[in-house]
Amino acid sequence: MTAEFRWTRKDLLSLYDLSAEEITYILDTAEEFKKVSERNVKKVPALRGKTVVNFFVEPSTRTRVSFELAEQRLSADIVNMTASTSSLTKGESLLDTVRNIEALQVDLLVMRHRATGAQNFIAQNVSCGVINAGDGAHSHPTQALLDMFTIREKKGRIKGLKVAIIGDILHSRVARSNMWGLLKLGADVVFAGPATLVPREFEEAGVKVCHRLEEALEGADVVNLLRIQHERQSAGFFPSINEYSRFFGINQENIKRLKPDTLIMHPGPINRDVELDSSVADGPNSVILEQVTNGLAVRMAVLFLVAGCGGKR
Amino acid sequence: MTTEKLLFNTGEVQDGVQHLCEAVLRDFKENPDYVLLGLHKQGVPLAERIADHLEEKTGTRPAVGKLDISMYRDDIGLRSGLPLIRETVIPFNMEDAKVILVDDVLSSGRAIRAALSAVTSFGRPACLRLAVLIDRGRPEFPIRADYVGFNAFDVDPAQKIVLKLTENDGEDAAVAIQWR
Repeated sequence: MTAEFRWTRKDLLSLYDLSAEEITYILDTAEEFKKVSERNVKKVPALRGKTVVNFFVEPSTRTRVSFELAEQRLSADIVNMTASTSSLTKGESLLDTVRNIEALQVDLLVMRHRATGAQNFIAQNVSCGVINAGDGAHSHPTQALLDMFTIREKKGRIKGLKVAIIGDILHSRVARSNMWGLLKLGADVVFAGPATLVPREFEEAGVKVCHRLEEALEGADVVNLLRIQHERQSAGFFPSINEYSRFFGINQENIKRLKPDTLIMHPGPINRDVELDSSVADGPNSVILEQVTNGLAVRMAVLFLVAGCGGKR
Repeated sequence: MTTEKLLFNTGEVQDGVQHLCEAVLRDFKENPDYVLLGLHKQGVPLAERIADHLEEKTGTRPAVGKLDISMYRDDIGLRSGLPLIRETVIPFNMEDAKVILVDDVLSSGRAIRAALSAVTSFGRPACLRLAVLIDRGRPEFPIRADYVGFNAFDVDPAQKIVLKLTENDGEDAAVAIQWR
């Protein structure tokens, strides 16, 4: 890393846009923020006087709580909005809603929306910084960053590692964001799951696609499981939850195929005993709760960098 | 291209460090019950050098910590980007410690103001002192150094003073450059 490197983005929308250097810079910054949460005084004045609006048009618990706590630890002033508490329910357009928020001299907007690209559209039309907290099946950059932070912390590197991401890849913004970030940092990424949920098209982006679990687990350094949503079954993507679990669930039996130090990850919430057996989720290879802890540090780093990039205010 | 004007050469910088150490020793006599806390970036190697000198003189080396103040600055979003946050290491208990903050140049005093916030979030020191190699003599805050290597009161305010140290830059020198 060159000493002259400066973060210059007012928004964080997708890891697709970022260079390997920018991603590494966020991870390096997050390391120091992680230590803040280990101190007696867990708060720094970095964003004092800045106002952050958490606008979650799509429901969220853990991401919203994580962002909110990160903002509090940076001493920002916070306003929380959901779709039901906004004028979206009265027929106001999304852009009008956001422009009204911005007219209140807000510095940062943390936003989740079910429509792909919603945050990109908003970022082009407002001067405040925009952080994407998840848009449709497209992008969830802070989740991928916290996954990469956890991998780097545990393994000491990302380059050359085999990372298997297993489950509903088709509908997953976590899988796409991890794919962009991990490939840029030189990991080998494998997507696995039923053919209906893991289309071959992903191979064009540089990942390996496979439809047999054994192949994905072979030699993996990291196994990241995605939540299987029950509604996908009724949509016909797989015959039954039971069958999915039998072919693609991680359990005490197939974990034996893994190297002893393979990391088991999950972005949460877990469907216990569907994609991940309880004994494995709570076992020695699991870093699932550490992902949550690291999410706070990564979000503090992202808020700090985006707020500090010399934005309009 | 930035033009540099030499203010202090290698020998002068090294004399300045010596001078700082003598001032610290006068205050604390032979009783080395204090610790040094260097501010990134140049305060860190400077603190190590001061510790080396003091060890030579007294036979005891004070503990040396590193402090990054980026999270405590009051100009986040006003500057063109932030420097990389460097590692903060406090290898002593801040409670009741006698701490000497070490920085290269005392200019506006804002970095020291941020350092005071940072230090107090780690505990309640018994006393805090400030050692700087170069004092510009025109702080924007009511902050003065207790130990000073040199005064550089007559350097044009439009110029920035940059201290180079062998540990980071390959040579010891202080230069004046035009602010961007």
